[in-house]
Amino acid sequence: MNLRCDSCGAQLVLESERRTALCPYCGSTSIVERPPAADRPNPAFAMGFAVPRDQVFAKAREWLAGRTLFARSGVRRAALEGIQGIYLPAYLYSAVAHADYEAEIGEHYQETETYQTQENGKTVTKTRQVTRTEWRPLSGRLSEYVADVLVTASKGLPNAELEAVEPFDLRLLKRYQPALLSGWIAEEPSLTGAQCLELARGEASQALEKKVREFMPGDEVRSLSHRTEVAQESLDLCLVPVWVMAARYDQQQPPMRIVVNGQSGMIAGKVPLSWIKITLAVLAAAAAVGAFAWLLLQHKP
Amino acid sequence: MPLETATALACRRCAAALERDDLRCPICGLASTALAPRPEKSSAVLVRCKSCRAVVAYSAVDQAPKCAYCGAVAEVETPEDPVEQAQAFLPFHVGNDQALETLRGFLAKRSFFRPADLSAKASLAELKALWWPAWVCNAKALVSWSADSDAGHRRSDWAPHSGQTELVFRNLVLSAARGLSDPETRSLAPAYDLSAAAAAPKGPAGALTEQFDTSRSGARRRIHEALEARAAEHARGEVPGSRSRNLHVAALLTGLETSRYALPAYVFAYRYRKKLYRVVVHGQDAQVVIGKAPISGWRVAAVVAAGVLALAAALAAVLLWRH
Repeated sequence: MNLRCDSCGAQLVLESERRTALCPYCGSTSIVERPPAADRPNPAFAMGFAVPRDQVFAKAREWLAGRTLFARSGVRRAALEGIQGIYLPAYLYSAVAHADYEAEIGEHYQETETYQTQENGKTVTKTRQVTRTEWRPLSGRLSEYVADVLVTASKGLPNAELEAVEPFDLRLLKRYQPALLSGWIAEEPSLTGAQCLELARGEASQALEKKVREFMPGDEVRSLSHRTEVAQESLDLCLVPVWVMAARYDQQQPPMRIVVNGQSGMIAGKVPLSWIKITLAVLAAAAAVGAFAWLLLQHKP
Repeated sequence: MPLETATALACRRCAAALERDDLRCPICGLASTALAPRPEKSSAVLVRCKSCRAVVAYSAVDQAPKCAYCGAVAEVETPEDPVEQAQAFLPFHVGNDQALETLRGFLAKRSFFRPADLSAKASLAELKALWWPAWVCNAKALVSWSADSDAGHRRSDWAPHSGQTELVFRNLVLSAARGLSDPETRSLAPAYDLSAAAAAPKGPAGALTEQFDTSRSGARRRIHEALEARAAEHARGEVPGSRSRNLHVAALLTGLETSRYALPAYVFAYRYRKKLYRVVVHGQDAQVVIGKAPISGWRVAAVVAAGVLALAAALAAVLLWRH
């Protein structure tokens, strides 16, 4: 597919996974509007970037400097490369959920217990108050809306990485308009709707499980299980702002990816750990414990 | 499984009434925005500055598209969040004189702990006719609850219970007033005749209108919280037994419709022995009056003394009987 740059007339290089195209001759960013295709709905919402590039760079430097001592050497001084602001496609999921739960609820009660003990060389009988638990079955249904579940629609950024920089303030959602994307990279969904629906259902199920656990009465809970039925599900495509960059800590190793929430500035990245440092630390700790034990044994009368 | 989309003015999932520029349903989160149709053929669109026609880029600093050449910042469509305004006023049916008469009746009301000279010594410090802001809601709620109660308990004092119940809120008045307390507005609310609502205020000269002081989003949050609190109150009544604890409630709201009303009332302040007390008289039904009255310290002391004397007498009688 060939499209012309509306600014200088040059041929644009279009990538199928991109919603924006940069003209190599005049540097203008065009927003590519494509006809409908399977698993590529029109975005319903978008959220604009609120954290500018220079702030992202400073935050990322600060974040790297604060990484653990067990990180691979060079991580804390890693060079940041290829900072890019990307509008990531993500689906916003909501549904009505009905959870049928069953559990055993522990209710505490006090009981007076008789016991024998030694006092002045004699066996004496005493009493004391002990807390016991009475287990009672409980079943019921919890119905509520599951909303604000956001899952990635991009193969480039796995859902775990998006979750790591959440939450996004959904009150700042805007109706999708091309002007929000102008000058930035925007991706088209690369995961299918069905894949995203599964991801969203998984997240919703986790949220509901937490809710059901918090919903239980009693002093203790055990054998909690629930069967959830979701109805009236909805998935809406939205474009969320993320900064992505590479931190190169070793020329021989692949760089580490850092993701920054373009709205709140929250940072996440998987820090490579140094097994040598960890092993040395474990050995040093074992040596210290051994030395302490040896000292104790030496001073034992 | 079919995916749901919302219509323009009522959410298709929960039937909550939506405002025209709502992007999502505030109750269930369903998108209410109408999607722009995808074009029939591919095109590359440039966003241009309206002033100088240069290509603009979205600026994270300005949080809007900004022209790098002339500095013009384009407006981005954002959802409106206006301050709430009353849509309807209920007329005063009680006049100033009748309200004053109600106040006199309240002060003259006999109660053992009230000072005997209250009616004679109380002086009116302020009389204010006002419309107080309130939301009137209609909604249904599927209320799920769980709790411990003493019903069916065995060795422990508590046994677990759970349930689900349907609740209908019809013309539920939720106060948005800052000047009136929650017990006051709750006492006033049931006596209003909502069918008499009018677009313009009709009442005594000089009557004030307390404005809503919250935005639409803030109002929705407060209404949602208030409905959940009412659902929890209802659920408390569903728990069997005479004592309960660990009540957990979840409410699934449907069909929420909210109207913004201005409701009439008289607020009096009277002074008794240098202290101010407040009385609120309903603006449509003079029978409804809520207020505070002083308590006679002498009478309270007399009751306590009588109680102590009675106790001492009973003790003396027991001692005498034993000897």
